Amino acid sequence: MRYYFMNQDMQDFALDVEVNRDQTMTFIHEGHKTNLHLKTLAGKNYYSFDGIAWKKLAALGVNEILVSNSEIYKVYRGFKPSGLNKGGAGALITQMPGKVVKIFKQEGEKVAKGETVLILEAMKMENEIKSGADGVVKAVNIKEGQALEAGFLMVEIEE
Amino acid sequence: MKGKRVLIINRGEIAIRVAKALNELGLVSVGVWTDNETEPPHLEYCQEWVHLSGSNNKETYLNIPKIMELIEKYKIDGVHPGYGFLSENREFSEALAKKGVTFIGPNPTAVYKMGAKDISKQIAKEAGVPVVPGSTGEVPTVEEAIKIAGEIGYPILLKAVAGGGGKGMRPCYTEEDVKNNFAAVQREALSGFGYAGLLVEKYVLNPHHIEVQILADKKGNVYHVFERECSVQRRHQKIIEEAPSPFIGTDEATRLAICESAVKCAKAVNYDSAGTVEFIMGEDKKFYFLEMNTRIQVEHPITEEITGVDLVANMIKAAFGEPLDFKSQEDIRIQGHAIELRICAEDPISMLPAPGKIVGFETTFPQGIRFDHCIYPKFTITPDFDPMIGKLIAKGFNREVALRKVRNAVDGLIIDGIKTNIALHKVILDEENFKKGKYSTNYIGTVKPQEKVAVKEEMKAFMLKVAAIELNQVGGKV
Repeated sequence: MRYYFMNQDMQDFALDVEVNRDQTMTFIHEGHKTNLHLKTLAGKNYYSFDGIAWKKLAALGVNEILVSNSEIYKVYRGFKPSGLNKGGAGALITQMPGKVVKIFKQEGEKVAKGETVLILEAMKMENEIKSGADGVVKAVNIKEGQALEAGFLMVEIEE
Repeated sequence: MKGKRVLIINRGEIAIRVAKALNELGLVSVGVWTDNETEPPHLEYCQEWVHLSGSNNKETYLNIPKIMELIEKYKIDGVHPGYGFLSENREFSEALAKKGVTFIGPNPTAVYKMGAKDISKQIAKEAGVPVVPGSTGEVPTVEEAIKIAGEIGYPILLKAVAGGGGKGMRPCYTEEDVKNNFAAVQREALSGFGYAGLLVEKYVLNPHHIEVQILADKKGNVYHVFERECSVQRRHQKIIEEAPSPFIGTDEATRLAICESAVKCAKAVNYDSAGTVEFIMGEDKKFYFLEMNTRIQVEHPITEEITGVDLVANMIKAAFGEPLDFKSQEDIRIQGHAIELRICAEDPISMLPAPGKIVGFETTFPQGIRFDHCIYPKFTITPDFDPMIGKLIAKGFNREVALRKVRNAVDGLIIDGIKTNIALHKVILDEENFKKGKYSTNYIGTVKPQEKVAVKEEMKAFMLKVAAIELNQVGGKV
């Protein structure tokens, strides 16, 4: 999953994360890989960069901002808002929070305009999310059963 | 006193502090909240709450008629004003007295006398307490200014009568300086404050802001609870305080002299509550009376920590005519050292308020840390109130231990979603002059610790943010 951090001046950088099966995450930033070990003990999450020294992972983070000493970054999971404008008909974005029920198209598959790409449950109703353009599925950023917040880029279609 | 109903006309951490003391003493703590406080954390400690409708401070926390209505309706016996708001308002304490409601603070006359700068200075002078030497009134001519400067000795300060906030004043080191600056300060005073009148005052170089805690009862007993050093300031507001003063150090004669001077000031106005006498102390350890604050102060916890005297509880007892927790001045002793950091919702570099919504809050503190605060996830810091959201207080066997503890504590304090001055505190605590206890009120202006606050966030912080969000996606567990 790719994360974008954008400061007040709309300058951004990306940080990739892979969630591994062995309770670790791998971060990739500008080609550098960093491993993070994670553990849940007594309801709290702990992290370690070396697997030896552990610290509590503060239960922060669930909001979409990161405040540093000099800047406030907006955090975007899986997309960056500049893509909202550029992406056009090929970018399938959640309009409200919802849950992925079924995905019909996988990466690399051809898709026609108006074709249903996935089903999203929102406000207790199932919504067919249709492609806005003819093209090829470039990226699927979601899994079935996943809960999504509003403004999330689910599927990218290259026209 | 037990069972009396006390209304707390305040909010945030001080409302919590007062509610704790009231509950502990067996009184009923009654809190208030207003329309622009959607998540008022201070109510957690109050036994009852009443709504103070309105959305700005004039309609609420400063609205005497409305507060008097609440007092009548909810059968309130006493009021604690905290600090700020109505804590030093003579009109309010007189209104309460008329209704027979106990004001937890000093008598209205003491509030009035110490509230007026010229009267309080005169009172201190008459009580034999040194005040900053200077002209007794306006100085009309440059010749007059030179004459007074000759009497009190250089350096002197030419100061606008109407000035304030460090503006409209210039130091003069020689007669030549006075000649060169007199007309210029007059012009500044006229353009900045609309009035050209000037004063001449002794200029205290690298001054220390040292204050003495007073505790008095209604029977005429006045005690001092030693001093606090409050010299780390920005915009004339304190950000770090410690007790006892490292500048006075082991000089017990000076300590006794300043503390006894404070008692003299308090006795001169028949003081009968908790209060603070502020002094300015020069490099030569000569001290001068500045003003008296007739209320509980933000930094009272460091005094409580080194003496074991519960200032808020004793202030309440004094107001209801109960005996204090101790019997003589000798019962009050300094043990160890305490340091307080004011945690504010502000930019650590510009030091300007930065309101916002707190989304995460975690603490991992060393042994013996006191954290008086009103920080909760979802708590919104609005621009309507002071940006101070907590006070981190560490007590140690000596200054070195207190420093070590507070440094470790600030590392374990994580507040997410808003900017805070935590990063600035870390820089100051690591800075050599502060570590040695060598600093005056010029510290922020000359050492400039704010320039050493890291501007670039470590990649690690971004990774941890991502890890937290990813974990949240899978239900918060690995």
